[in-house]
Amino acid sequence: MSSGRQYGLLFVLPAIIVLALLVVYPLAYTGLLSVTDDQGHYVGAANYAAVIGARVTTTAVWNTVYYVGASIVLQIVLGTLAGVLLNQRFRGRAFVRSLTVIPWVIPGIVAATTWAWMFHTEFGIINYMLASAHVIDAPVGWLTGRNTVMPALIAINAWKLFPFVAVMVLAGLQAVPNELYESARIDGAGFWQEVRHVMLPQLRPVLTAITLLLVIWGLNAITIIYTITRGGPANRTLITPIEIFRYAFEQFQFNQAAALSVLFFAVTVGFVAAYIKLFATTAEPGVR
Amino acid sequence: MSWQRNVVLAGATSLLITIAGSVAVAGEIVWWTPNWGEARAKELATKFEAGNPSITIKLEVTVANGLPAKVATALRSGSPPDLIEVQHGWVPEYAQAGLVLPLDDVLRDKDDYFPAALDYVTWNGKVWAIPYRIETHAVIYNKGAFKAAGLDPDKPPQTWSDLVAAAKKLTGKTADGKDQYGFAITGGGEFGNTIFRTLPFIWMNGGSIISDDMKKATVNQPAAVEAVKFYTDFLANKLSPPSTLQNDGIANRQLFIAGTVAMYQSGQFDIDSIRKGNPNIDIGVAMIPHPDGKETAAIVGGWSFVIPKDAKNPDETKKFIRFLAEPDNMGFFTDTFPARKSAMNLPRFQDPILANFKAMLPYGRKTPPAKNWQQITQAYFDGLQSIMLGDASPQEAMDAAAEQIAPLLH
Amino acid sequence: MSLSWTARITILVAAVVLVFVCLFPFLWMALSSIKTLRELYTVPPVWFPEVPTLANYMKVLFASNIPRYFLNSAVISLGSTAIALALAIFASYGFARFRFRGKAGLQAFVLVGQLLPTAAIIVPLFITLRFLGLVNTYLGLILIYTIITLPLSVWMLTSYFRAIPVELEEAAIIDGAGRIGILFRITLPLSLPGLVAIIVYAFVTTWNEFIFALVFAQDYRVKTLPIGLAEFSTEFNTDWGAVMAASVIMTLPVVILFLAMQKLFVGGLTAGAVKG
Repeated sequence: MSSGRQYGLLFVLPAIIVLALLVVYPLAYTGLLSVTDDQGHYVGAANYAAVIGARVTTTAVWNTVYYVGASIVLQIVLGTLAGVLLNQRFRGRAFVRSLTVIPWVIPGIVAATTWAWMFHTEFGIINYMLASAHVIDAPVGWLTGRNTVMPALIAINAWKLFPFVAVMVLAGLQAVPNELYESARIDGAGFWQEVRHVMLPQLRPVLTAITLLLVIWGLNAITIIYTITRGGPANRTLITPIEIFRYAFEQFQFNQAAALSVLFFAVTVGFVAAYIKLFATTAEPGVR
Repeated sequence: MSWQRNVVLAGATSLLITIAGSVAVAGEIVWWTPNWGEARAKELATKFEAGNPSITIKLEVTVANGLPAKVATALRSGSPPDLIEVQHGWVPEYAQAGLVLPLDDVLRDKDDYFPAALDYVTWNGKVWAIPYRIETHAVIYNKGAFKAAGLDPDKPPQTWSDLVAAAKKLTGKTADGKDQYGFAITGGGEFGNTIFRTLPFIWMNGGSIISDDMKKATVNQPAAVEAVKFYTDFLANKLSPPSTLQNDGIANRQLFIAGTVAMYQSGQFDIDSIRKGNPNIDIGVAMIPHPDGKETAAIVGGWSFVIPKDAKNPDETKKFIRFLAEPDNMGFFTDTFPARKSAMNLPRFQDPILANFKAMLPYGRKTPPAKNWQQITQAYFDGLQSIMLGDASPQEAMDAAAEQIAPLLH
Repeated sequence: MSLSWTARITILVAAVVLVFVCLFPFLWMALSSIKTLRELYTVPPVWFPEVPTLANYMKVLFASNIPRYFLNSAVISLGSTAIALALAIFASYGFARFRFRGKAGLQAFVLVGQLLPTAAIIVPLFITLRFLGLVNTYLGLILIYTIITLPLSVWMLTSYFRAIPVELEEAAIIDGAGRIGILFRITLPLSLPGLVAIIVYAFVTTWNEFIFALVFAQDYRVKTLPIGLAEFSTEFNTDWGAVMAASVIMTLPVVILFLAMQKLFVGGLTAGAVKG
C-alpha cells in the first residue's frame, strides 16, 4: 500500500522537526569551532592534531572503553536479574519495586558525593563496617589505590543505573503472553529454563534497545566520575567526555574541545550505526 | 487536563515577560554575584541605588558548582550580564580572548592596591578587572596537639626541616587511641587546591613550573623537583593521611576538625568553620615554612570585578564598580582581605588570629599569565598524583610533565 | 501455581539483598539529614545521631528557595515529559509499523543528537534560546529537556511497540479501523508498561538535570531543585545536613510516583486474543 509510505513519514515528522531545530545548529557550530582558533581564523586540522597528539587522549579512550564496557555488563546482568525477580509474585512486591528505583532517582551529584563519602578512607562507613566485621585489618584506600579506583567507580555506576534496566525489563516482561509460559511448563521446564527459553527471547528487542541506550548514556555521563575523582588520580579515571569538559570549561580551549567532540561524535555514530545494522534490523515483526 | 494548559500559560507568560525584560533597560545593571556574599551584595546595591536613583541593580545569584562553565557560556553567547565576579586567575584568559573590557578608567588610587592583586589582572599594559579581595594560605595547626607532643604551641615550625620534624612528632596514636597525622597535604579534588599549596614551595626553593619568559618548562629542574619531593614525601613517609589522594582543602579541614590531622595549609576562611565544627580546638596560625636561608612565598588568591565586552550598560557599571572599590565598601564586601591597603584598617581585620595571614600577604605572588596556564598546571598536577600513586619518582614524573608542557608554550 | 520452598526462600533472600543494596546509601543520606554538622564528619563515623534534629528540614522547607524550586521543577519536568511522550508516541509508531524511504537514516538521526557531548552543545543551545527569547523561562527549559529526552524515548518506545504482535492490529484493520484509532485503542493500552517506563525515565532525567538548568535559568522564578542543592554550598563550605534533607525531599516524590503507577505495570496479553 503506497499510501502507507507517506503515512509512516507523517507519524515521524513532528519529532524529527523538533530535534532538527535544535540539533543541526549545535552540530554546525561545533564543526566550525573545531577548525578555527580562538580569534576565529581558519586553522585547518591544527586543533585535531593537538588533541590527538596529547597523551591523555589515548589514556582517556582506553579508560572510556573499560568504564563503559564494564558498567554496561553489570547494569544489564544485575538489571535483568532484578527485573525477573520483581516479576515474581510475592508479598510486598509493589513496595520492593518502588524501592528499587531509588538509586536511579537520587540526584547524580548527591549520589556521587554520598558514595565518595562512604568510600572515604578515614570518614567512610564502608571501611568502618568492614573493619568492625574483621574483614579487613587496615582501611582500604578505595578511591586512592591505582587498582581499586576504577572498579569502585564502575560499581557506583552499575548501582546507579541497574534499576533503569530492571524497570525496562519488568515492563518488557509484562508483554510476555501467558501461553508461552504454559507450554514451557507442559514441556517440563523449571524456573531457569523458563528464563532462558521464554523470557530472554521475548526480551530481546527490549534488551537490544537498552544496551544501545546504556552505551549512549555511558558515553556522555560524567557526573559520577567528575564529582568523585575529576578524572584522577593521574588520569586513571579520565574518560573522553570528561576530557572534553576539561578542555572547554577548565582550560577554556573551546576549539580543541570542539575538535575532540567531533572525533568522539564520529566514532560513536559509527558504533551506533554498526550496532543498529547488526542487531536492530534483523528482527522487524509487524512492518508494512 | 488543566495542568497542561497551566504549563502553556506559564510558559507563554514568562516568554512575554522575558521578551519585555530583555530589551535593555537603560540604567539597569545586571550583577552576577556568588551566593556566599548575597546579603552583603544586596546591602551595597541598595546603598548605591539610594545615591543614584536613575540606576537599578538586578542581582542574579550564582553558585560555586559549575561557575566557570556558566560564566564562559555567558561571555561567549553575546548576551552576558553587566558585572561578574570572577577569580583573579580567570582574568588573563578572558582578556586574551577579548571577552572583557579594559578598566583603566575605573581604577583609582592605584598605589593603594596590593601590587600582587593588580599584577594579576594586568595584561598587555592594561587593567582588565578590579580586584576586591585577596588572600593567601598559611599553616593552621592544633595547639593542643602540639602540647601533647611536647612541642611549644607558640613556636610553630619556620623551616622545612622544622616542619618535617614537627610532623613526625605529631604522627601516631593520640591519648584516646585514635590515629593522628602530622601534616596533611592535598592530592585530590579540584586541582587548584593543590597548585595553591605546592607551587609556593617550588618558588621558595628558587624554582618554577615555566621560565619567566614563558617559553620553557622548568618543572623538572633540580630546584623544582626538590620542592615536589619535599611535598609528596609527607605522604610517602605516612605523615599525611592515607586518604590524601581524595582530599582537597575542605577535606583536610574536616580531618583537622575531627582531630585526625594536626597541621595543614589553608586560608583564613577555614577559621570560622573550625570554630563552629569543634570549639575545643585551640587554633594556631603559622607562616608557611621556608627552606633554610630562603624566604617564604604564597600564591595570591581572590576575586575581581569584570565587565563583559557585550555588556548592555558598561558606563553605569563602571560607576558602580568605582563605588564598590571605595575602601569602606570593599572592606565590607570581601570575605577575606580587601585588595586595598587602606581598607585593611577596618576593625574586622584586626582579629589577632589573622595576624600571620596578614603577614603572608607581602610574600604573595601571582601565577604567570601564560596562555595555557590551566593546561600547564593540569599536566603538573597529573605528575604530582602519579608520584602519590607510587607510579613514578619525583624526577620521572616531572620529566613527563615537562614533556607535556613544552608543546603548550609556543 | 504455588512455589516450592527453595523458590520462596531464594526470592526472599534476593529481594532482601536487592532492597539493601538500593536502600543503603539512601539510608545513609537520610540519617545524615537528621544529624548536626558536628556529627557528620567524625572519625570513626557515627551511625545514629546522639541528638537527632529536624533543623535541616526546617531550614530547607522554610528558610530556603527549595519550595519554589520544587514548583519550577514540577512544571518543567511534567511539561517536557508530556511533550516528549506525545511526540515519541507518534514517532515510535511510525518507526515500528511502517516502512518508508530513509527510515533507517531518520532512526539514526533521532539518536544522533544524544551523541554530541554536553560541553559542545551548551553554548550553541544558549545562543539559540537567547535568539528565541527563551532564556530564563519555563518554556525554554521545557524545550531543551524535551530534546534531551526525546531521542531515547522514541528509541525505547519503538521496541515496546514492536513487541506487540502485529496480528492484533491486522485484525482491527480488516475490521476497517483507521491507523490512528488503532494506535490509541489497541497499541497504547497494550504498551502501557512501556509508556510508564518512559514517563518515569523522562521525568527522572529532567528532575535531576543540572548543567542545562544552571546555564539557562538565571533567577528563582525558573531555577530547579538541583540548583537549589548547589545553593547550599558556598565557596568553602557545604551545608551537608541541608543538602541531605533536600535530597530526601527531592527523591521521595519520584518514589511515590512510581509506587502509585504500579497498577499500570499490569501483566501482559491475555491468551486467546489473537486466535479468537
